[in-house]
Amino acid sequence: MTIQLAIATLIGGFIFPFVIRMAWGRMVDNWGPIGGWMAAAFIVGTVWCINHGIATPMITQSGTVWVDQGLAAGVGVWVASALTGGSKRKSVKNIVAAVSAGIVGGYVLSLFLVS
Amino acid sequence: MKFFRSFVGYCIAGMIVMAVWSQLGSYGIFGGYLAAIIIIGPMWYMNHYINLTGNEDDAAFVDMGLAIAVCGIMRDTFIQGGDAFSTSLPTILLVGCGATLGGITAAFIEKDMAKKKEFVNENPREPGLRRSDFEKLKEAKEKILRAKKIKIFQKKSSI
Repeated sequence: MTIQLAIATLIGGFIFPFVIRMAWGRMVDNWGPIGGWMAAAFIVGTVWCINHGIATPMITQSGTVWVDQGLAAGVGVWVASALTGGSKRKSVKNIVAAVSAGIVGGYVLSLFLVS
Repeated sequence: MKFFRSFVGYCIAGMIVMAVWSQLGSYGIFGGYLAAIIIIGPMWYMNHYINLTGNEDDAAFVDMGLAIAVCGIMRDTFIQGGDAFSTSLPTILLVGCGATLGGITAAFIEKDMAKKKEFVNENPREPGLRRSDFEKLKEAKEKILRAKKIKIFQKKSSI
């Protein structure tokens, strides 16, 4: 991976949690649960386009293991939430649940997605 | 029980996204939009709007994206082996660093917004500024001003 691609990957990781933190909660405030669908389509979908969808994506995959922009969402939203007063210790349970769920889910997928 | 319900919510979201999205995404940009609507929409509704994952209001928010990303990484690691994982390590680290910077910047800007505006967020479970955060920021600001002996925050008689 060249230094140019590394900078682009860094910024790609920056954009996603930033836009989620700025807009997702406000969309739900304004439009109710439908706002969540709007956010799913127009935040996740649109940022997916630049990070993964276009021909030369912003998040460069340096290896063969797929690194999803969801990693940026998980890390970035947690950091922002912790900095605005969320308790880190209370969230440990959820982090452990998310990581172990990811590992188990990945194992289950590897059972039938073998190409 | 609390751990179990979080686990199930995160696990289902991770499996559906990592199995379906890559194939819908092969139809190009609009496949990606379709995947975002039909997968992220319902999964967000289940995990965060109904709050199946049990994020507490005063705890740091753990998004289902974390489970989705770990699921994708582990899927390919289980299929291709540990060597493949180490080839992707640079991307993982760079995305993690970028996300941390993005989170810090977002928190910084939100604190700046909280100085000027009245708080309007009514739903505490969204990823975004919550009422408890707002109160804490206000308290912290008051404390600083009190230390500087500036009397701005005199309480109104009726609110």
